[in-house]
Amino acid sequence: MLEKDRLIKTSRFVVRTGFIVNRLFLAAVALGLLLSWIFSSQLATLLIQQNAGTNARSEMTGFRLMMVLGIVMSVVIDRLFVALTQIIETARAGDPFIPANALRLQTIGWALLALQLLNIPAALIERFFPSMGMGAPDSAFSAAGWMAVLMVFVLSRVFAAGSAMRDELEGTV
Amino acid sequence: MPIVIRLDEVMERRNMSLTELSQAIDITLANLSILKTGKARAVRFSTLEAICKTLDCQPGDILAFNDESDD
Repeated sequence: MLEKDRLIKTSRFVVRTGFIVNRLFLAAVALGLLLSWIFSSQLATLLIQQNAGTNARSEMTGFRLMMVLGIVMSVVIDRLFVALTQIIETARAGDPFIPANALRLQTIGWALLALQLLNIPAALIERFFPSMGMGAPDSAFSAAGWMAVLMVFVLSRVFAAGSAMRDELEGTV
Repeated sequence: MPIVIRLDEVMERRNMSLTELSQAIDITLANLSILKTGKARAVRFSTLEAICKTLDCQPGDILAFNDESDD
C-alpha cells in the first residue's frame, strides 16, 4: 500500500511539473514567434552575422514554422497532461475504474497519435529548410512512440470493460 | 422489483436485530440494510449462506418472486 501511495505521489509530482513546464514552454515559444516578427530585421542581421552565407529569410521562415509546430505540440501535450492528472486523482481517491477514465485514456491515445503524426511536418521543415542546420526539429521515426499509442488505446478499452464490470458489482451484497 | 426480500420476517421469528445479524455474519450493517430494504442489485451466494446458517432458514424463506407483470 505504501509502495502504491509513493508511486501515485511521485506520478502526481512529475505530471504536475511537466504540465507547468509545458505551459511555460508554450508561452515562451508563442512570445518568441511574436518577437520574431517584431524584430525580424534584427534577427536577420544576427543570422547573417553568425553565418555569412546563410539565406536569412529562409532560415527565419524555417524557425517560425518550427515554433508554430512547437506551439501545436505543446497544446497537444497540455491536453495529455490534463487527462493524465485527472486519472491520477481518481487513482489517489482509490476509484480509477470509472467510465470517465476510459475516455481520458482515449484522449491520451489521440494526443500521442497527434504527436507521432506531427513528425511529418517536422520532417518537411527539416527537408525544405536545410539552412536551419542543427536547429531543425528532430523527426526520426519512433517505434516506441507508435507502440505507446497502440498500448494506450488498448488500455482505454480495458478500463471501459473494467468500469462496466465494477458497475455490475455496485449494489451487490 | 419482482424479487421480494423477507429478511425482516425471518429475523423477527429468530428474535434477532439487524446489528446482531451483521456482527454474526461479518457483513456491514450498511450492506445488510441495503439488502433488507430491497435496494440490493445482487446477492452473493456466500452472503446467502451466512444468513441462512445464522438464521437457520432456507434461501426461499428470505427471497420470494412476485411477478407483477400483466402477462
